[in-house]
Amino acid sequence: MENKKMTIALFSGSIDKLTGASIILAGAAADDMDIEVYVLMQGARAFLKDVAGDPEKLGMAENPELKEEFLASLERLKVMPWLDFFREAKELADVKIYVCGLAGKIWGGEEVSDFVDLVDDIVGIGECITSMEESDIHLFI
Amino acid sequence: MDQEELKNLKVDKTVDARATACPGPLLAAKKAVRELDSAQIMEILSSDAATKRDVPKWAQKKGHEYLGTVEESGYFKIYMKIK
Repeated sequence: MENKKMTIALFSGSIDKLTGASIILAGAAADDMDIEVYVLMQGARAFLKDVAGDPEKLGMAENPELKEEFLASLERLKVMPWLDFFREAKELADVKIYVCGLAGKIWGGEEVSDFVDLVDDIVGIGECITSMEESDIHLFI
Repeated sequence: MDQEELKNLKVDKTVDARATACPGPLLAAKKAVRELDSAQIMEILSSDAATKRDVPKWAQKKGHEYLGTVEESGYFKIYMKIK
């Protein structure tokens, strides 16, 4: 049986939404889905090499005043950092991560090498739309 | 299977995921399945309450046989037979 396909349009570059997206991604990977993540706008900044691993460089989309509490709770509950969930998902399933070319340029990321090694390529929005059309599930986060 | 049968099962692999929150136990189970052959028994230890529903549903969806769950002090054990 052919695997189901999920497409995630990841607009957000905030730590709370990135964490939520990474947990959904990991769950879908455990379920053997083929997943394509299209990293848009603020999301592209979060995948830059000098930003991705540093929660201090990422904001909170909701209740920003609770960021420290949020991060402390994740640590207490031994929840992996969002980037590690992305890495695990790539190991478990067919997961591709594409950065929007425009979004990359906004934040100074012109080449794939400007981003963490999880990024597969830089693409245009047309590929994102096509992927959504072909997907069983598509999410905008 | 009843609780006594589950406790007496010969387990082929134990996955101790008690140190992780959701979806850690699910990911650990998914990785461990790769190391097992058909009809072998896997035991997953978890202290994350959501796992009690999550892992059995995942197992059934993937064609593994969910055998049952045993409650221990502060954690539980989930048993499944690999397809």
